[in-house]
Amino acid sequence: MTGSLCLSRSIMAPPVAVSPLIKTARWSALLIGMLYGKQRFDHLKPIAEEERRVEEAEKKLREEQERIYKQLSEASSDTILK
Amino acid sequence: MAQKVQKLVAKVPTLLGAAVTYSKPRLATFWYYARVELVPPSPAEISKAVEAAKGLIRSYQTGRLGQTTVKDAVRNGLVTTEVLMWFFIGECIGKGGLIGYNV
Repeated sequence: MTGSLCLSRSIMAPPVAVSPLIKTARWSALLIGMLYGKQRFDHLKPIAEEERRVEEAEKKLREEQERIYKQLSEASSDTILK
Repeated sequence: MAQKVQKLVAKVPTLLGAAVTYSKPRLATFWYYARVELVPPSPAEISKAVEAAKGLIRSYQTGRLGQTTVKDAVRNGLVTTEVLMWFFIGECIGKGGLIGYNV
């Protein structure tokens, strides 16, 4: 960080001429990564939606069952301590 | 309460100005290096890269790769790791998020 406080070009190293192989490798890796990320996202999205739907249905069923159970237990418990 | 919000809002331009003054020389340094080192390859460079890759394969076949020094091997390993990291950056861009897939 101290190098940027006294910012004179004479003390900074000149930029390196990167070899073409490394440059192509970098940018093609970036491109392939972008394509892979997009593809994987598109693959996982419907699976997650399906899972959410199934979870919703199961939750509704569970809550319904709990409600029925509660009603039954309240009706069958006759005690003066209400 | 409203006065405090007003005072904060009045300070925003000064904060922005300070941020710009701070980042300008650093952006200039970054641009100075990035303009040479980080640009994507031109078509001529792509053909040179293909030839360099073929040269690599040839040197592997002739066994010359076994003669690299440890220092060179470490340096090449670091460069390869950096190139592979660009793949993960691309994946983050493609999936639209930093951590995990927001499906």
